Amino acid sequence: MMNRPVPLTKADLMQVESPARYVGGEYNAIVKEDMLEELSRTGKTSYVRFAFCFPDIYEIGMSNLALQILYHVLNESPFVACERAFSPWLDMDKILREKNIPLYSLETKTPLCDFDILGFTLGYEMCYTNVLQMLDLGHIPFYAKDRGENDPIICCGGPVTYNIEPMADFFDIVMMGEGEEMILELSEKIREFKLSKDTDHPMTKEELLRNCDTIEGVYVPALYSFSYDKCTGAVITPVDDTVKKSITKRIISDLDHCSYPTTPVVSNLRVVHDRSYLEVFRGCIRGCRFCQAGFIYRPVREKSVEVLCEQGRLLEENTGYDEMGLLSLATSDYTKFPELAENLLSTFEGHHTSLSLPSLRLDSFSLDLMEKVQSTRKSGLTFAPEAGTQRLRDVINKNIREDDIFSALRLAFMGGWSTVKLYFMLGLPTETDEDVLGIADLAARIEKLYYDVGRETGQKMRRLEITVSTSLFIPKPFTPFQWEPQNSKEELIRKQRLLKDHIRSRNIRYAWHDFDSSVWEVVLARGDRRLAPVLLEGYQSGHFFDAWDDHFRYDDWVAILEKHGLSIEDFSREFSEEETLPWDHISVGVKKSFLLSERHKAHEETTTPSCREHCSGCGVACFGVGECFAKRNVNKEESSDAAK
Amino acid sequence: MLQSEREKMMTMQQHQTAYVQRCKFTRTGATVYLGHLDLMTCFERAARRAGLPILYSQGYNPRPMMVFALPLGVGIETMCDYLDVSLDRPYDPDHFVKEMNAHLPSGLQLLTSKAIPEPKDSIMSIVTTASYRFEAKGIRKAMETAMEQETLVVEKMAKGKVKQTDIRPLLICLSQASDEDPDAVTFYAFAGSERNVRPDLILNSLCTYCGMDRALSENTRVIRTGLFSGTYPRIVPIEDVEVRPNTAGA
Repeated sequence: MMNRPVPLTKADLMQVESPARYVGGEYNAIVKEDMLEELSRTGKTSYVRFAFCFPDIYEIGMSNLALQILYHVLNESPFVACERAFSPWLDMDKILREKNIPLYSLETKTPLCDFDILGFTLGYEMCYTNVLQMLDLGHIPFYAKDRGENDPIICCGGPVTYNIEPMADFFDIVMMGEGEEMILELSEKIREFKLSKDTDHPMTKEELLRNCDTIEGVYVPALYSFSYDKCTGAVITPVDDTVKKSITKRIISDLDHCSYPTTPVVSNLRVVHDRSYLEVFRGCIRGCRFCQAGFIYRPVREKSVEVLCEQGRLLEENTGYDEMGLLSLATSDYTKFPELAENLLSTFEGHHTSLSLPSLRLDSFSLDLMEKVQSTRKSGLTFAPEAGTQRLRDVINKNIREDDIFSALRLAFMGGWSTVKLYFMLGLPTETDEDVLGIADLAARIEKLYYDVGRETGQKMRRLEITVSTSLFIPKPFTPFQWEPQNSKEELIRKQRLLKDHIRSRNIRYAWHDFDSSVWEVVLARGDRRLAPVLLEGYQSGHFFDAWDDHFRYDDWVAILEKHGLSIEDFSREFSEEETLPWDHISVGVKKSFLLSERHKAHEETTTPSCREHCSGCGVACFGVGECFAKRNVNKEESSDAAK
Repeated sequence: MLQSEREKMMTMQQHQTAYVQRCKFTRTGATVYLGHLDLMTCFERAARRAGLPILYSQGYNPRPMMVFALPLGVGIETMCDYLDVSLDRPYDPDHFVKEMNAHLPSGLQLLTSKAIPEPKDSIMSIVTTASYRFEAKGIRKAMETAMEQETLVVEKMAKGKVKQTDIRPLLICLSQASDEDPDAVTFYAFAGSERNVRPDLILNSLCTYCGMDRALSENTRVIRTGLFSGTYPRIVPIEDVEVRPNTAGA
C-alpha cells in the first residue's frame, strides 16, 4: 500500500508536536485501492465513504476500542470505505486554519467535507466542543439545519449519546447502543441515497433521514421537536405520527459470532494505552447506583472462553504488542476467568508478552495471578471502596465489605506489596461529614494493618505508600441517581478540606480531582437542547479540548451559560420525579420505574443483589438475551417443574 | 513468593549466546516523522509479529536486543541505516529480511542482512561518519559557501539551555561524486558517539551564514545516504566492517 502524502509541507509538520499523528501509514490500516482507482478514473465512487472521527488527539483515539471495532466492521463491508480522523492539537489546528487546509482523513488524506458520512464516537461529555472543532476544520456547517444536500451526513454513537440533547442540533443521526449491526444498516441506507443521486429520482436528505428513522436504535433529532417549561421539564415530541415515539438502544445478542478486530491498526507512535485489547464481556452484574456503565451496558453477555483464547492468540500474533489488556467492566466477574487467564498466559509463554488486568477484585486467586503476570516490579494495588462508611456503601450499592478489603490486603502485604491506591467519591447522595471522615479512618486502619503484618511475620517492610484519591459525584442519566442534586462547589470544597485535614500520616497521600470540570460535566450530562448555542458560542470564542484540564476555562463557560439565560443550578439541581427528563424518549432497556425504586432503596440504605445472585427485574430482559435472561428462564422452568 | 526471593531470582544472570543479524534499512514516507524511540518500537513489533526468535535483555524490564547504529531524528529519511538484532539461534539472513519486510509498516524496509558473530564492539561505537543528501532550491551553492567559512556558530539546546556551538569542524567535505544538480548536495560529516552533528543545525547555519531562506531550509529534504566507520577518506560502510567476535563469557 502506498501511503499518500499529506497536504502540508515538511516545515508545517516539523513545527508541531508529534507530527506522526498526522501522516497515517500504520500497520493494518486499510485503504481500498479499487475505490481510489475508481475515483481517479471517473471522479466519483460507488463506495460509501465513511470518516470515523474521534474528537480528541490521535494518541487517545487510537487507544479506543470502539474505533477499532467499527473501523473493521465497516471495512469488512464490500461497499464501505472507512477512514480515520482525529482532533488536531492546537499547533496543527492553527496551521490548518492559517493555510485554510481542510482537516483530512489519515488513510487517503481526503478532506472531511468530501466524505458521505462522518461518524463521531463520543466517550465523554467534555469532548463535545472538539466535535465542533472537527466540523469547523472539516469545512462543514455546524448545525444540521444549515447543511445542504451535498454536505456529509453527520452521525454519532457512544455511551454519552444516551443523552445527546445538548449536541442534538448538530447531528443528523444518533446511534443508540452497540453499533456493529446498526452502523452497517445505516451505511446501506446512505448507499441507496448516494446511488439514487445518479438516477431520475434522487432521494432528498429529508427522505434519507426518515428512512434511517426506521432502523431500530437510530435517533434522528430533527424529527423531534423540543420544548422546555419549568413544570414539565424538557419535552421531546415526534414531529408526526410516522416517527417512532421512543428509541430503544441496540445490543449484540451473540458476541461469539460478532466481528471482533483481531487485526487492529497498530500505531507507529506510542499511544496512551499501548497494548492490544481483548474484550471479554459486555454489561455488569453489579448495580452500583452511581455508575452509568453498570446500567446502560446491560444485560451481561459473555464471550466463550474458546473464542477469547483464539482471539487473544490472533491479537498477539497480528499486532506485535508486548501487552494485552482484558477489557470489561469487572474482569473478575467473568465466569471462567481463571481458565481464560491461565490459557492466555500459556499462549504468551516465552514471548515476553504481559497481560494487563484492570478492574480485578482482589482475592488469593487474583494475587497469585498478579504474581505471574507481573514479570517486572510490583505495581500498586487498587481498590475502589467509593465511600468511607458501610452505610454510604449500602446507599450506593457498592457491594464491597471492609472485611474483604482487609483480608485481601493482609495477603497482599505478606506477598510484599507496599503501594495501595484507594478511590472514593465525594458528594454522594446522603453523604454526611461522618462518611467523609470515614475515608481518612479507613486509610489509617490500612496503614496500621501493614505494620501489624510486618510485626507478625517478622518481614522487613519497605515504606508504605497509600494514595487516597477522590473524584466528585456526578449524577448521570439512566442511573438511579439521575434525579439527585450535585453538591454545590462550596460544599465540595468544604468536604475536601475536611478530609485533607484528617489525613495526617506521611505514608498517606491525598490526591483530588478538579471540581470545575465535574461541575461543568453535570451540565453537559443532564443538559438539553437549550445548550447547543452555548456550546457553539464557547467553541467560537476559542474553548475546546475541554477534557484537558489545562485548557478548560470554567469561569468563561459559566459566563456564556448565563448570557444565554441559564445557570449551573438549572442542571445540578435535584430533578423532580414528576418532570420529563431530557432523555426520557430514549430507552436502554432498564425501566425508569426500576431506576426510581433503586433510588428509593438507596435512601432507605437497602442494597440490591447482583444480577448473578438474583434477578431484580430491571427490565432489560426485554432484549431476550443475556446471563440474567437465561437464568430467569431456568428459574421459571424450575418453578414450573415444581408446580407439576 | 516473598519480594526478597523474587528480587534474587530476577537479578540472576544467565549467559545467552546471541546470533546477530546486522541489517541495513531504509525509511521513507510517513515513518520519517517518527522519533527514534517510536522507530525502535516499530522494528520490535514487526519482529514480534514475524515471530522471529529475538533475544531479550535480562533483569527487571526485559527488552528485545536490538541496537541501532545511530539515532535518526524526526524528519530525516534514510537510504542506508543499520541495526543489530540478536536472535537465540542461527537464522538465514535472506529469510530474516523477507520476514521483517512482510511485517514492517509501509515506509520501513530492510535491504540486506548478514549473520555476524556476537560483536565485541557495539554497532554504535564503530560509527564515525555519515553522509547526507540535502534537496532544496539552490542548496549546493549554500553548502559550498558554508564549507568556505572558518566557523559556523549555531544555537543548540542542551540541558534546557541555549548553547553556542561551532559546527564547521564537524563537516568533512562535499561529495565529489555528486552530479552538478544545483538543487541537491551530498556531504560527509562526523557522526557517532564521539563527534556528531545534526542535519537541522547545518540547515540553520545555512540561514545565518549563506543567506538561505528560513522557510526553504525548513522544507529541505534530508536523506541520510550512508554510515561509515574509520577516518575520512579511509572510511568503510558499516556493513563492510569486519566484526571482532566477543570472546568474553564464552
